[in-house]
Amino acid sequence: MKRTLIAGALGLLLPAIGLAGECNLTVDRVEIDTGEFVKEGIGYNGESPGPVLRFKEGEEVSINVTNNLDEMTSIHWHGIILPFQQDGVPGISFPGIKPGETFTYKFPITQSGTYWFHSHSGFQEPEGAFGSIIIEPKDREPFRYDREYVVQLADKHPHSSERVMRNLKVTPDYYNRDQQTVGEFFSDASENGFLSTVKDRLAWGDMRMMKADVEDLQGFTGLINGKGPKQNWTGIFEPGERIRLRFINSSAMTYFDIRIPGLNMTVVQADGNNVQPVNVDEFRIGVAETYDVIVRPKDDQAYTIFAESMGRSGYARATLATQEGMEAPVPGLREPARLTMADMGGMPGMDHGDMPGMDHGDMDSTNEMAGMSGMDHSQMKGMDQPQMKGMDHSKMADMDHSSMAMSDGGASDPFYAQGSGLVPEAANGGKFLSYADLKAQKPLYDEREPTREIELRLTGNMERYTWSINGVKYEDADAIRLKYGERVRFKFVNETMMTHPMHLHGMWSILDVGAGQWNPIKHTVSVQPGTTVYMETEVDAPGQWAFHCHLTYHMAAGMFRKVIVEGGPESTQATSSEQSVDVGGDA
Amino acid sequence: MTLSKFVVAALAMSISAVALGAGAHGGGHGHGAKSGEPGKASDASRSITVEMYDNYYEPEKIEVAPGETVRFVVENKGNLVHEFNIGTPDMHEAHQEEMMMMVEHGIIQGGKLNHDMMEMDMGNGQTMKHDDPNSVLLEPGESKEVVWTFSDKGNIEFACNVPGHYQAGMYGDVNFNSEDASVRSLAGELKPSKKIQ
Repeated sequence: MKRTLIAGALGLLLPAIGLAGECNLTVDRVEIDTGEFVKEGIGYNGESPGPVLRFKEGEEVSINVTNNLDEMTSIHWHGIILPFQQDGVPGISFPGIKPGETFTYKFPITQSGTYWFHSHSGFQEPEGAFGSIIIEPKDREPFRYDREYVVQLADKHPHSSERVMRNLKVTPDYYNRDQQTVGEFFSDASENGFLSTVKDRLAWGDMRMMKADVEDLQGFTGLINGKGPKQNWTGIFEPGERIRLRFINSSAMTYFDIRIPGLNMTVVQADGNNVQPVNVDEFRIGVAETYDVIVRPKDDQAYTIFAESMGRSGYARATLATQEGMEAPVPGLREPARLTMADMGGMPGMDHGDMPGMDHGDMDSTNEMAGMSGMDHSQMKGMDQPQMKGMDHSKMADMDHSSMAMSDGGASDPFYAQGSGLVPEAANGGKFLSYADLKAQKPLYDEREPTREIELRLTGNMERYTWSINGVKYEDADAIRLKYGERVRFKFVNETMMTHPMHLHGMWSILDVGAGQWNPIKHTVSVQPGTTVYMETEVDAPGQWAFHCHLTYHMAAGMFRKVIVEGGPESTQATSSEQSVDVGGDA
Repeated sequence: MTLSKFVVAALAMSISAVALGAGAHGGGHGHGAKSGEPGKASDASRSITVEMYDNYYEPEKIEVAPGETVRFVVENKGNLVHEFNIGTPDMHEAHQEEMMMMVEHGIIQGGKLNHDMMEMDMGNGQTMKHDDPNSVLLEPGESKEVVWTFSDKGNIEFACNVPGHYQAGMYGDVNFNSEDASVRSLAGELKPSKKIQ
C-alpha cells in the first residue's frame, strides 16, 4: 500500500515499469537513430536503451525475457548480487535464451542503488541491448533530492560491432585517427631533443602500440538516453530543486569525462553503493561504471551536461532546462591527452613477473633488484626514473590522507602513473574526482586481512589485437578457483597502454583506496596504464562467475576469466536461506 | 623547529581566546546574521532533540514562533562527523568553505575530529576552532546543546556544512508558525498526488 503510493509519486517523474515484483522484457530488433545516422540495432520492449526497471530492496523479482531475435540472447544484471544461475552469462551461468524462447529470471533484491542490465551474448550489448535498473532502498535514502533522472551513456558506432572487431583485428589502429604525424615528431624533437625523441618513438614502436592510443575506437556518436548531441535529451527542473542524476556508462569502449558548466556536482554513489559525498566539478566514468550525483541549479536557465570522451574524439551532450527546447552553449573538445612513457606499463624486455610489479615500496630487497637487472636498460633510460615511484598503490595505505586531499588541484592522481599524460583535469580548473576520494558511506564488510593475493597481469598485443590476462586469453586459460569464505586480494598490474575496466560478477570488489574500513565497494574497477591497483573480494557467493575487462572488444579478444567459487553454504542450506531453495527451483 | 612549534602554539592559544570573544571562526558567519542570536537556557520555551545520521537529520523540519528561544539537544547517531548549524542558506554556503579547509587540514577525518589541529594558528592569526554559538560539530556518539533565540521570519535552515553533506541533503527547514504552514520541501510537494491515489 505504502509502496504503491511512493512508486506512484516516482512514476510521475520517470517512466517506470516493474513496480510489482514481476516484469516482462522482449528482446527485439530496433532502429537506432543517433541524429547522425540511422542503424538497425537490438533493444528491449522495442527500444534502445530499454526501459528503466524499478525494484525495491527486499522484494523477490521475476523477469520474463522473451527472445524475438533469430539468434541466442541473454541478460546480465550488472552489479546485482544474485544466485549465479540468474547472472545471465551464457556458458557460465546458464545456456542462454534460444530464439522464440521465454526465460524467467528470479532472484531476491538484497541491495539498492543505480545499476544496469545488458546482453552478455556476442556483440548485442554494443548494438543497443542495455537498459537501467533503479533499486529503492528499504530504508530512506541518506540524501534528499526533488527529482531524479537516469543519464545513460553510450558510444554508437556506424559500423556493426562484428565489422569493428574485424577491422581492429586486421588493422588495430583502424579507428585511431589521431596518430602522431611526422610534423609532431620534429616538434617533439625540438622540444625534447632529437635523441630522446627517437628513443621514445622506438620504445613505442617496440610496444606495438601507437602513442595516441588512448581510445582504440573512434568515430562514434555519443548518446545520452538514446539521443545524440543534436537530438539533445533534456531533463526539466524548477530553479532551486535538487536533482539526482544517475549516470551509467553503457558504452562499448568509451570513457567519458563529465561536467555541467555552471553547476557543482556532489557525488553520492558509485556503482550503486553510497559514498561519502564529494563535491566535484568534473568526473571520469569508466565503461560499465555508475555514478550518482546531486546538482542544484538555482537559476532559470539551461545547463549542458557535457560528456567528453577520454581520448577527446567525441562527446555526448544533454541538457537540464526549465523548459523543453532551451539550450546552453556546448563546449568544444579539449586537446587529446597523450600517453607518456610513464603510461607504458608493458615495455618489451621488461618482464613484469620479475619486475616486482613495480612495487618500489620494497625495492631495497637485493633479490628484487637482481630481477630488475634483467631489464633492457637502454629502454629504461627513456623513462623518468623518479616518476616510477608513484606507481605502487600498496603504499597508499601509509599515506597521510589529509595531505592527499590538499594536493588535489594539480594534475596528479594516485590512480594514474606519475607523469602520466592521462591524468584528468577539470575544465574549469576545479576539482576532478579521483578514486582516492571514494569512501564508503557505510562499509558493507568488516575490515580483515586477506587470506591470499592473486596477481592478474592485464596483457595485450596491440598489433594482433589480442587482449589477455597473464598473457593467456580466455579460451586457453584455466578458471580462477576461489574458496567460499576466503577474502582474496587481487593485484591488477596493467602492462598495456589502455585503461581496463575490470568487472567481477557476483561479488563486490572492495577497491583499495588506502582508506581501510572505508574503502568503497564497486562492481567495476578501472586500471590505468602502467599502474598497479588492488581490490579485495569477500568470497561469499558460491557458483561460477565471469570476470573480465568490460571493453567490448577486449572482452571478445580474450581478456576474460571464469571464476569458480568452491564450497559454500550447501551443507547449511536448510538453516541458512530461502535464496538457495529458489535457485534450485529455477535452474 | 621544536622552538617554533612552541611559539605557534603559544600564539594560537592567545589568539583563539580573542576569536572566542568575537564569536566567529574566520569571521565566516558572524556578519549579517539574520537567523537570531544565542539564547539563554533559562529563556528556552522548549527543547527539541535533533538526531544526526549519515547524512541527514531527524527531524528534517521544525516549527518555531518568531522570537522564540529553543534549546536544541543535538545527538550524532551516525558514523561520521556532523555539524548542526543555524543560519541562512548564504551563511551556510560561506561556512562550507571554512569547513572544506578543516577537511584539507585534517581536522575533520571521516568519523574523527582532530582537536589539537583545531587549536593551531593557520598563519593569519585565526584558528580553526569551531566554537560559534549557532553551531556544534560532533563526533559519532557525541551530544551537545545549542540554545538559540530566533529572530523574525526569514529563510532559515539548520545544516551540516561538512563538505558535501549539505549538498547531499543534510539540512532541515525552520518554519515560522505564524506563517501559513505551507511546506517548501519535496515531501510537501508530493502530498497532493498521494491524496489523489
